[in-house]
Amino acid sequence: MKKECVAMLLAGGQGSRLYVLTGDMAKPAVPFGGKFRIIDFPLSNCTNSGIDTVGVLTQYRPLELNAYIGNGQPWELDGRDGGVHILPPYQSATGASWYKGTANAIYQNIGFVDLYEPEYVAVLSGDHIYKMDYADMLRRHKEAGAACTISVMEVPWAEASRFGIMSVNEADDITEFAEKPKEPKSNLASMGIYIFTWQKLREYLIADENNPDSENDFGKNIIPAMLNAGEKMVAYRFAGYWKDVGTLDSLWDANMDMLLPGSGLNLLDKKWPIYGRTPSCPPTFVGPDSDVGNSAIAKGGTIMGEVKNSVLSFNCTVGEGASVAYSVVMPGATIERGAKVSYAIVGENCHIGAGAVVGCSPEEAEHFDAWGITVLGPNTQVAPGEKVEAKTMLDKTHGKENAR
Amino acid sequence: MNGMHGIIFSYEKATDLRELIEARVHGSIPFAGEYRVVDFVLSNFVNAGVTDVGVIMQGKCQSMLDHLGTGKSWGLSRNHGGLKLLPSFAYNERRGDDGHFRGKVEALGNVMDYLRHIRQDYVVLADSDLIINLPLQQVLDDHMASGADMTCVCTSVPGDRDDTYFKVDDTGRIVDTSYHGYDTTGYRCLNVFVLRKDLLIDLVTDCMAHNRYSFRHHILQDKGSELCFRAWVWDGYAARINSVSAYYERSMELLNPAIRAELFPAERPILSKENDSPSTYIDPTGECVNSLMGDGCDIQGTVRNCVLFRGVKVEKGATVENSILFKDTVVKAGATVRCVITDKNVTVNENVTLIGHEHYPVVVEKGSVI
Repeated sequence: MKKECVAMLLAGGQGSRLYVLTGDMAKPAVPFGGKFRIIDFPLSNCTNSGIDTVGVLTQYRPLELNAYIGNGQPWELDGRDGGVHILPPYQSATGASWYKGTANAIYQNIGFVDLYEPEYVAVLSGDHIYKMDYADMLRRHKEAGAACTISVMEVPWAEASRFGIMSVNEADDITEFAEKPKEPKSNLASMGIYIFTWQKLREYLIADENNPDSENDFGKNIIPAMLNAGEKMVAYRFAGYWKDVGTLDSLWDANMDMLLPGSGLNLLDKKWPIYGRTPSCPPTFVGPDSDVGNSAIAKGGTIMGEVKNSVLSFNCTVGEGASVAYSVVMPGATIERGAKVSYAIVGENCHIGAGAVVGCSPEEAEHFDAWGITVLGPNTQVAPGEKVEAKTMLDKTHGKENAR
Repeated sequence: MNGMHGIIFSYEKATDLRELIEARVHGSIPFAGEYRVVDFVLSNFVNAGVTDVGVIMQGKCQSMLDHLGTGKSWGLSRNHGGLKLLPSFAYNERRGDDGHFRGKVEALGNVMDYLRHIRQDYVVLADSDLIINLPLQQVLDDHMASGADMTCVCTSVPGDRDDTYFKVDDTGRIVDTSYHGYDTTGYRCLNVFVLRKDLLIDLVTDCMAHNRYSFRHHILQDKGSELCFRAWVWDGYAARINSVSAYYERSMELLNPAIRAELFPAERPILSKENDSPSTYIDPTGECVNSLMGDGCDIQGTVRNCVLFRGVKVEKGATVENSILFKDTVVKAGATVRCVITDKNVTVNENVTLIGHEHYPVVVEKGSVI
């Protein structure tokens, strides 16, 4: 059962900045890019990198995520040894507690990691869209003889103060870490992807747990503690596509990036495939009067109207004369005839009645400052002819319109 | 637990399918952009709660074996029962003279040990090349309620001369069975049969002992007066693919929403082997109308009235019309393709023109480069 490297995937956060989309499900379970869900990216990266043992730490609304991961077979994580394991908080003889922070979540599962006696542990986020070879990062970790390797990417200097910033020496050893610094000394941002030498991390997790003042968080506590203690910590530079899809705007952006040649997030890339659980459904029918351009469309759909610059997931229906532009449409949504959806995120199984108008383009907005992506939470019903303004957010109860 | 066991016959037959069966048996011909023909019968079984299925195969079964695998896509990878593949090489000493089964009874006789170990009381027999979405649970319920010895699913929609036809009396009992075109009136047999396991074993044992091998001759005809065979009429969609033109017509009629609704009702989904393809991408210059498209296609040219399987690429300036393109077909820039069926991994090069006729579509063999 001994494994060289085990991955621990942090998937417990609520993702509150996705608002209505995460009302009933954890952020990693949110559909992305037509056929996928956000968690498919880190899980597929693990499989493609040769990591066959993954613990998924869940806490907030895990049911949809648990059902989606199932036995891990779509990601080949259903092997005899290892595989994917859902790790919710649990009760023990001395009591029970929720995961207090990212580090505490791993601390509570030290026993799980120990089962596999790994040399190394990769700690990953469940809410990033990127394709990365963790095996290459592990190679860097081993060559450097590091206790911790942190994946970093160069960000524009102007944006550096939004990230956890790493300062490095000429060998790319990390010399300093600053969380969202006002005056950044470097533009190397942490991507929240770590590889640790397990025995080292284990010591620091136990010490951190015994510190009552700690927030039990990797970025705030573990990394600074290791740095202060003079542990060897190195940066692993990543240059590909990476996006934290923690906000509605970034989720929409990342979906649109997938349609953009040269964004680095190539949908049809066969070299580093992303796997996902695929329902059985017939192919998508595009009708005689349909007009589809620059769009990604998953199977099971019926498209009779116009779809431009959009991402449609499984089993979506676009009626005759309806139009969908610059929008992300999640599984099972129906857009009836004559309805117009633009610059919107339409949640799972939404129903948009005939002739309804959801969102508008920035050019059409009366006040540009008030413009934004329109968001419909899962199962939202929009009545025929109803108008949902730009930057509005609706959920299935439809009680309150939340302008963001 | 449902008391029905499924048996599927998948072997080579003499048909006019030309290049489409160059590398496969009928049941593994790709169909409807997403499926293999066998998925329909297999899903019908599973949707009726069948947990154990045996597939009797002979001939070019490589693609069938590949497709079925352990049966996990249909929930048939199980500790007990589940999918059992029954290739004929395990039983070849008792095969018919020309190396093929002479009939279904002979095929069943060759897996007698398997039949004896069936856990269920009832057995449903079906061909792998029937495209249908049958409420099989209903057939079983009606069979048990009727007290008949065997229930035979049939249709009032006429078919070919080589089909089997039933004459049925007022009570639903089959009083005569005929085939080979001398009389094509009556109900056309769809070769789906439900009967008790014990009766099946008795019938097959008796036939084998007397060198009888044909299901329709030695069972349906010879035993029809002694036993009660009942007709169960299904007038919904049912297609048997036995020629290239039938394949082409049956594929093209899927562009009709009414036909799709009949074949793909939400309550009885057709399951197929999962795939990892991403979504299909239609480029700003691409156009795709009145077509079915599987996942992972890359459409930069013009596509009209087509069935595209997954991973098809149509480059800029290429035009594809009234055609069926199997998995990973590439139509390069400026090419024109009309009334063509391309098998898997076919490449149509730049500016090539390839045009068949709707009554005689061109079929391009697997892996060809034109």
